[in-house]
Amino acid sequence: MNKKRVASKESQTAALKKENERALVDQIRRLLALPMNKRTNFLRVRHPRGGSHL
Amino acid sequence: MNAEPLLNKIAAVFAEHRLEAIMIGNAAAALHGAPVTTLDIDFMFRKTPANLNKLKAVAKSLDASILKPYYPVSDLFRVVNDEKGLQLDFMTKLHGIRSFEGLRSRSEAVQFGEHQLKIACLEDIIKSKRATNRDRDRAVLEILEKTLDEQKKSSK
Repeated sequence: MNKKRVASKESQTAALKKENERALVDQIRRLLALPMNKRTNFLRVRHPRGGSHL
Repeated sequence: MNAEPLLNKIAAVFAEHRLEAIMIGNAAAALHGAPVTTLDIDFMFRKTPANLNKLKAVAKSLDASILKPYYPVSDLFRVVNDEKGLQLDFMTKLHGIRSFEGLRSRSEAVQFGEHQLKIACLEDIIKSKRATNRDRDRAVLEILEKTLDEQKKSSK
């Protein structure tokens, strides 16, 4: 009978961390491809009852 | 939200009143390509009687008021207009940065509309966040350092 291999929690966490870092670097590279005065989508707006959104 | 219209306005108002201030903090980091967000835009300026008058004129042009939220502990001047969701923080001292002149000499001028804004270099922003060492500063340090690495790689 074939037993399905289950990745250990540590390896799952490591894989997620690696994927997260790759996505972050991709995002930075996309931003760096723009001129400085176009990297302007950073301002959050306050909600009157607390919290904020982009 | 796209800050470009606001930055164009700020650059025009600073030019109109000849206020020299250097953008710091997360807004400046975002302009350097860091994927971070912020509710306010921070600046460093020199606290002189002339500059305080210019700051008042800037606030007036932006239909905003000047608050000193941590008075008398800090030299922070907050320019706010709640209706427009505007908050600009002007600091006269910055942890990890020895002088305004040094910060200015390493800053970069960026065009917004017909005028320019001076943006602190990413190394200085990282230095000040590391020196301030609040939870929210530590939370973005890794992102800023990664951005600096990518900046260096792309300029090679």
